[in-house]
Amino acid sequence: MAADSRPIKQKTFTNILDQYPAEKRYILAMMQDVQGEYKYLPREGMQMIAAYVDVPLSRVYSMATFYKAFSLVPKGRINFKVCDGTACHIKGSNIIIDQVYQYLGIRPGETTPDGEFSLETVNCLGACALAPAVVANEKVHPKVTSSGIIDIIKSYGGQINATSN
Amino acid sequence: MKIRIDQQEIDVNPGETILEAARQNGINIPTLCYHEAFGGQGMCRMCMVEVKTAHSTNLVASCTYPINEVIEVHTSTPVIEKARRTIIALLYRTAPQSEFMKKLYQEYKCVENQLEINENERCILCRLCVRACEEIGSSAISAILRGTEKRISTPFDEASTVCIGCAACANICPTGAIELSQTPAGRTIWNRTFAVVTCQRCGQAFATREQLDYIAQHTGIKGSESKLCDDCRKKNLAAQIEQYAQ
Repeated sequence: MAADSRPIKQKTFTNILDQYPAEKRYILAMMQDVQGEYKYLPREGMQMIAAYVDVPLSRVYSMATFYKAFSLVPKGRINFKVCDGTACHIKGSNIIIDQVYQYLGIRPGETTPDGEFSLETVNCLGACALAPAVVANEKVHPKVTSSGIIDIIKSYGGQINATSN
Repeated sequence: MKIRIDQQEIDVNPGETILEAARQNGINIPTLCYHEAFGGQGMCRMCMVEVKTAHSTNLVASCTYPINEVIEVHTSTPVIEKARRTIIALLYRTAPQSEFMKKLYQEYKCVENQLEINENERCILCRLCVRACEEIGSSAISAILRGTEKRISTPFDEASTVCIGCAACANICPTGAIELSQTPAGRTIWNRTFAVVTCQRCGQAFATREQLDYIAQHTGIKGSESKLCDDCRKKNLAAQIEQYAQ
């Protein structure tokens, strides 16, 4: 698991929570905002939400782990979303996922130890005509080939180590 | 209101669940996730019965079905028996390590299914432990993750700071799924070890320090009374009553 190196900006949590009344029904929205700010859902964020809304931490944790949209581990500086919808899957998205594992050593849901890259799969980006599609942060890379993904990793400053496995 | 359960005419209060009405009248409906203290949860579906209304016939979970109209209920028909066998077979596959589920599986003469076995599991995810913990007021555990990965645990799988080690979760669990070890050195549950307090009279280890503190805080019971185990406290009370009676 990547080190939690980025400092937790306590103030931002408070800012986010202050936008909502302290009611149970806003927990999900709060978690989404916290994740929007930090690119993942930090432990302290869940603890603060639980204390603010006055529900047990176990309930908040239960919700956070239920939804796939929440990541409890920090995302990398560059987050690759590899589409694994039907069209992209048929067009070989699994090869892209394998390539990323081969060159960066991460599987879906993981982050490189240096915190540079993270990988996740999504069920459909709605860009089936561009299959297989990869989104790096906000940028869409269409029709990615097995060698194309290496160029993409390089373009974001990734060290391609041919000997790594 | 009068309804019929298995040909028997029964008087019920509107809003009462079928399960409650049946049990009050000596009609047995098997359950797994039901406990009188909490009411129906509708988790395990063991209590399925056939309900005939004016318009339709449906299979419903009797523990969560409130009686609001005149209905006819059947608790044992071939359709229900089959549904029950399927439920048990599925749950047994989920928790094959549970002796309780194995016995149930054999008792109901369930048929083999091809589903993948969850090797080391004893939990059927009935959530009775979660409810018990919630009622006590700790809420240290909850159902985490989703789908096939779903399980009961503490936040981050770590020793919980709010757990008082009362072991209500382990005691209420129908399938014996919650690890609990008790030695004179301490009680270990949910990755945390608690110091145990022994009964002043009989010396039996009966509670954790945190548990007694919690009880004192919420009920005001403290002092010498809280230093006795359940059995000794009962004996104490009986002796007191005897004294008054004389």
